[in-house]
Amino acid sequence: MDRIYRVVVERCIACGKCELACAFAHGSQGRPSRTRINIARQGPEAGVPVVCLQCDDAGCVQVCPTKALVRNEATGAIDVVRERCVLCRMCIAGCPFGNMLWDDTYHLVQKCDLCGGDPKCVPFCPTKALDYVPADTAGLRPEPAGTGR
Amino acid sequence: MSAETRVESKAAFEAWRDRLRTERGGRKAEVLVCCGTGCLANGARDVAEAIDGAMRARGLDASVGFFEKHTGCHGFCERGPLVLLRPSGVLYTRVKPRDAKAIVEETVEKGQIVQKLLYRNPETKKPVEKYDEIPFYANQTRVAMRRIGQIDPTDLGDAVAAGAYAGMVRALLEMKPEAVIAEVEASGLRGRGGAGFATARKWKSCRQAKGERKFILCNGDEGDPGAFKDRSIMEGDPHSVVEGMVIGAYAVGAHEGYVYVRDEYPLAVVNLTLALEQARKAGLLGKNILGTGFDFDIRISRGGGAFVCGESSALMRSLEGKVGEPRAKYVHATDRGLFDLPTVLNNVETWSDVGAILEHGGAWFAGMGTAKSKGTKAFSLVGKVKNTGLIELPMGTTMRHIVYGIGGGIKDDRPFKAVQTGGPSGGCVPASMLDVPVDYEKLTEAGSMMGSGGMIVMDDRTCMVDVARYFLKFLVEESCGKCTPCREGLKQMLAMYEDLCAGRGREGDLARIERLAAAMQLGSLCDLGRSAPNPVLSTLKHFRDEYVAHIRDKDCPAGICRDLVIYDIVAERCEGCRVCIKACPTGAITGELKQAHVLDQSKCISCGSCFDVCPTDAVVWSKKTANAGGKEAA
Amino acid sequence: MPTLIVDGRTVQAREGAFLLEAARQAGVAIPTLCEHPAVEPYGGCRLCVVDITRASWDGWQKMVVSCLYPVEDGLVVSTRTPRVVETRRVVLDLLLARCPETPLIQGLAREHGIEKTTFAPNEGKTDCILCALCTRICDVIGASAIAAVDRGIGREIAPPFREPPDRCIGCLACAEVCPTGHIKYETSDRRRVIWDKEFEMLRCPNCGRAHITKLQAAHFEKKSGVPASYYEPCDACKRATVVASANALKIPRPGQTPRQNPGQV
Repeated sequence: MDRIYRVVVERCIACGKCELACAFAHGSQGRPSRTRINIARQGPEAGVPVVCLQCDDAGCVQVCPTKALVRNEATGAIDVVRERCVLCRMCIAGCPFGNMLWDDTYHLVQKCDLCGGDPKCVPFCPTKALDYVPADTAGLRPEPAGTGR
Repeated sequence: MSAETRVESKAAFEAWRDRLRTERGGRKAEVLVCCGTGCLANGARDVAEAIDGAMRARGLDASVGFFEKHTGCHGFCERGPLVLLRPSGVLYTRVKPRDAKAIVEETVEKGQIVQKLLYRNPETKKPVEKYDEIPFYANQTRVAMRRIGQIDPTDLGDAVAAGAYAGMVRALLEMKPEAVIAEVEASGLRGRGGAGFATARKWKSCRQAKGERKFILCNGDEGDPGAFKDRSIMEGDPHSVVEGMVIGAYAVGAHEGYVYVRDEYPLAVVNLTLALEQARKAGLLGKNILGTGFDFDIRISRGGGAFVCGESSALMRSLEGKVGEPRAKYVHATDRGLFDLPTVLNNVETWSDVGAILEHGGAWFAGMGTAKSKGTKAFSLVGKVKNTGLIELPMGTTMRHIVYGIGGGIKDDRPFKAVQTGGPSGGCVPASMLDVPVDYEKLTEAGSMMGSGGMIVMDDRTCMVDVARYFLKFLVEESCGKCTPCREGLKQMLAMYEDLCAGRGREGDLARIERLAAAMQLGSLCDLGRSAPNPVLSTLKHFRDEYVAHIRDKDCPAGICRDLVIYDIVAERCEGCRVCIKACPTGAITGELKQAHVLDQSKCISCGSCFDVCPTDAVVWSKKTANAGGKEAA
Repeated sequence: MPTLIVDGRTVQAREGAFLLEAARQAGVAIPTLCEHPAVEPYGGCRLCVVDITRASWDGWQKMVVSCLYPVEDGLVVSTRTPRVVETRRVVLDLLLARCPETPLIQGLAREHGIEKTTFAPNEGKTDCILCALCTRICDVIGASAIAAVDRGIGREIAPPFREPPDRCIGCLACAEVCPTGHIKYETSDRRRVIWDKEFEMLRCPNCGRAHITKLQAAHFEKKSGVPASYYEPCDACKRATVVASANALKIPRPGQTPRQNPGQV
């Protein structure tokens, strides 16, 4: 995997565009789905994005009885293999960070899978709090203000 | 020889066997009472006790050379209880406990025949004294059943004296495993359980399969209604099965074996258990067999009471402790069978044949039978035949010879209609095919199959639509239910047949039946479902006009389907013997002795029992919708 | 890699695959009912039958179920021979007789040209097609609480003795995997009911929301050693904890004073 999803918390202005983009990207027939990214509003123009961290040794992968949660080597994300998921919801309980979600609209478990390598939230984020950057740059400390670096 | 001494060489075995034979040869007399399950049901236990008592009363016991034994099934079940005397070879039939005194005091002591107990040849009307002069036995060639009826199945000495384990001694002490397989191949032996698969080929596959741990299994499930050959072998000569299995284990390299006996055969389990213990003690089974270093032991597993467990993969699941359902996977048992390990499963009769083949040679076995079906086959001959029982004949014997030559012809001399062979997976052979030589290929060509050897003889008082319905009813309850075509198909097929037999048949039914039959044959998971349509297709092929009569005319030409016929008594012919009154299950017939009887239609269920027993043909049946004076039966 | 031909298309299949996978690889659709990627193939519905042959078989064909027949080099598979199509139709006709009011079966049957069953419809109408997906997934989950009981036409899916099953942990996998919706359940934050068994839900100590039962947590505790209490907090409250941890770092926003400890992310 050559890119990694990066969250710079201090840049988040809690505009909520990422949530909308995510919900509509995964909905169908005009119905929005449950958003996989959740912004915790902390005050005016201050938010904390909470989204799946695509953990190395993921709790969700461990609890799944049918191996329906699988690392996608190309994107780096952990994908839900829909055909094998039997909706036992153990993963929702198993994720320590609360990033596995129950989507009542479509009666499914949902998680961020980086949209298969083209995360829809990224282009909508005005401050680049959310970005999909080359993996070798991810370790560099980003500037607090959204300078694009 | 005491049971504690192990046999560890050919010389030791032969010396032991000679001692046993000499000792038996020196006996004054042996009285062999058939205690196979059939004769037991007829009171053989009481007969045996009576004879035992009578012999003791006359001081005739082992110390003075007189022996009384209980044997397995002779096969002449129609005439049981049977008592065979040696060395004279006299056979007494239909023996009652009260005959014991006469048998002991006249025949055993003085050598005089008790005439009334002899078999009477129905054609010549003359009594026949000797066992092997009775046509029923004289016309048989007994290989799998070679010792049954001649030995006490619980006495290893009897079995060995009569030839048991000679084949095994030769195989283990004088031959390499590959040579054993070659001998079986030369014999042309094919599985006697029904499929007729080449036994040697099966053994070869298993021998070549990868892995150290392999199994030898004996299929003693015998589920076909009317079949009891395997029961007789397991009860009457269990050592023949043990011997065959040891030979097979040696040939393929297996060290563990199981005999899967259906739960409904308790005597077989008892006798097999005893046989295993005795064989172990003598060094013929278990560790270091015959001192060769070869280990092989056998355990018995009892069935759970399901016909489907006779199917090889279902049997293995059942043995493993799982539900007896056939395996849908496309694997050969010789690669992955019991516990997913290489396994050879053979029928009881096949195992019994193996010992004889190793004793006399493959060429000897192949000298009997037809080009593709070598050797002999056991048949259970039942139904409307005079001599019902268990027989063994060379492959290629015609159906005519079986039914008439050995079976003695149709009961009450009624016209022959068909023989159903192969049980619920088989089909019927009509009169036009009586001269069909019975072997695997010919029966299959005729639209039937050998199956395990059950032969149900049918006369003109058999409705072939009803016959197919009978087998469907049986299978509907025995299907494991896993696959759609068999589970749902049998249910729908039976429903269609119930309609036919009740006069609710419609135009297009035959096409619907044939369509469903084809789907079941192609789509079912196992052979139970695949072969379930056989009785249907076979009766349709040979007796289509009966079906048409049921559908178009709402008529049952044989007068059997109760919803389609009514019975009545022709007063002028009735002599008032009251036999029909006794036979009627609902009390529908009334009448005094020597007065014409009257049948009350409101109570009559059209079972036809009165028709079957009337000695003057005073009972007639007619199509239900016809007026009085309708069609008369033959 | 075994090479075979499916409906005229050449496929290089994975070693150890079954014909169904190879067909899908070739873009050929074969109808199935008892097949599901989360469980081993079963071979029960017999809908996925295909005809196979080889060059050396002289035109002789064998009908097998594609979900269980392994790929072999040189195999020629035909998924729509007349007798295959007819066999599928009879299977659906039979299922329609068993389940005349089940939309899934009605739809599949219609696709194969059957509007009404030609057989006698089942009196006790049911939605269960005995595909046994429920029992098979229950085995995968590790509970094995239900099984196919009884034989032949009396066969049904049931817990032992047809009583509320001891071993059921209320995971709902059976109901979710059932293709016809035959298995019914109720679920809420407070309780769940399935197979006539009532389950206490594992409720978030903070807000009371629940997604799994207490037995599910206990089942996984046994398997993994992770204590059941770990599973209690609901996803929203877990996220709140994450946020609280982030806040505890006192990350200065743009316009605020720079971090006290440069280098700390």
